[in-house]
Amino acid sequence: MLALDIRNVSKKYKNFELKDISFQLEKGYIMGFIGANGAGKTTTIKSILNLIHIDSGEVRILGKNLAEHELELKQEIGFAFGDVDFHNRSKVKTLTDVIKKFYKNWNDDTYYSYLRKFKLDENKKISELSTGMKVKYNLALALSHGAKLLILDEPTSGLDPVARDNLLEIFQELVGEGEISILFSTHITSDLEKCADFITFIENGQIVKSAEKEAFVETYRLLSGKESQLSEVKELLISYKKNSFGFTGLIHADDFDPASGINAAIPSLEEIMIYFAKKEDMYV
Amino acid sequence: MYNLILKDFKLGVPLIYLIMPFLTGALMFIPGWIYFIVLLYFCWITMPNMFGGFRAQNDLMFTAMMPVTKNDIVKAKVSVIVLLELLHIVIAMIFGMISINLYTNITYYFFEPHMGFWGLCFVMFGIFNICFISIYYKTAYKYGEATLVSIVAAMLFAGIAQWIGIESSYVHDIFYGAGLDRTALQASILIAGILVFIALTVIGYRIASKRFPKVEI
Repeated sequence: MLALDIRNVSKKYKNFELKDISFQLEKGYIMGFIGANGAGKTTTIKSILNLIHIDSGEVRILGKNLAEHELELKQEIGFAFGDVDFHNRSKVKTLTDVIKKFYKNWNDDTYYSYLRKFKLDENKKISELSTGMKVKYNLALALSHGAKLLILDEPTSGLDPVARDNLLEIFQELVGEGEISILFSTHITSDLEKCADFITFIENGQIVKSAEKEAFVETYRLLSGKESQLSEVKELLISYKKNSFGFTGLIHADDFDPASGINAAIPSLEEIMIYFAKKEDMYV
Repeated sequence: MYNLILKDFKLGVPLIYLIMPFLTGALMFIPGWIYFIVLLYFCWITMPNMFGGFRAQNDLMFTAMMPVTKNDIVKAKVSVIVLLELLHIVIAMIFGMISINLYTNITYYFFEPHMGFWGLCFVMFGIFNICFISIYYKTAYKYGEATLVSIVAAMLFAGIAQWIGIESSYVHDIFYGAGLDRTALQASILIAGILVFIALTVIGYRIASKRFPKVEI
């Protein structure tokens, strides 16, 4: 079953456009949603939460159309925005008391068990929580109302490596039983190398690729060769950088001929992101 | 909808805005003052500050992510405004009644705080509401234009009504010096004022609930 099914979503702004966005997330998995700042990650997430009006396309969550079943589906969605605070002068306890009334499946026992597990003090104000604690608080809220799909926008940005690792372990634990699915946007690709099952890569408002993590990186090769070899593959490269030793460039695995003698390696997610961003620059 | 109203009173309406009606209401004890001002303080202070708070706390996004309809979001916010207005007006009325009995020998140049005057106050709040609510929900976060237009409209109404009350002997006779014989007339002006307040607020809500779904959050 698909937890999230985004079909041909388009949205046009004055200076930016989401073009024909489509990707699917299977139930019980973590999908990393990567892209540079301004690539369209948050806009896509806002369209999933019906916060913006899409010009065309369809968002389906847990098999149901979002536009038609918004209230019902919002009962099943949990969210965390790494960089947005809500009512941050209020105490955790006060905010929870308000929020829990909106959810019919709210479970106080689950909530308090997560508070203990995450070591959250409910007498603290939201503004007194560290960035990681705020994400954990949002997770505690989502899990207490039985959310099946967690939409997390940059939840690890601004966290120290220990807190990030801790959070990633929690994400993996959550999807362990196969009931919960996570869409997790980030520009910190190393996080995804640790915990994501699927990767969706957005660049300049378009989905470049959405695939299982290993298959995703194996679609590309990172070439490094002498400057004299550059002309052989230049036209096929997604983009390249020249250096004193020659060049390095990203290429689709299908376009690469292993007999060419150029060194090829499987790129990291970060390298894929960087070379795609460079491709955009080359056309500007 | 009830949960949304509760949310605003717990998170978005600090205690001071519930104390304000008593503080501004106490101004009813200034003998012979322009009592429209007592209620205008709500428009000048409480409204812009409260909506500034909503914006600073990202209340719009917070609310929009809850499982609630956009219509309920507007309805709840309008209800919060109306509840605060009623609190201001009822407390001012009570203080006004005490004030009238306290100062028996003064000549009122401006409106006396009888029922007819409170009817006019309801109309003033109605005008404020239709302007504020309809303009605010063009964006659901910019409150500057909405505040400015609605305050100017409410003050113009108050100023013109007061001017007519002083200049026109016919109107003056209706609103000044409530005797028992005029209780029915005064009460009917109050009821008419309340009806106008309800009508204008509902129209404001209708316009807002058409505009809000188009807002990008």
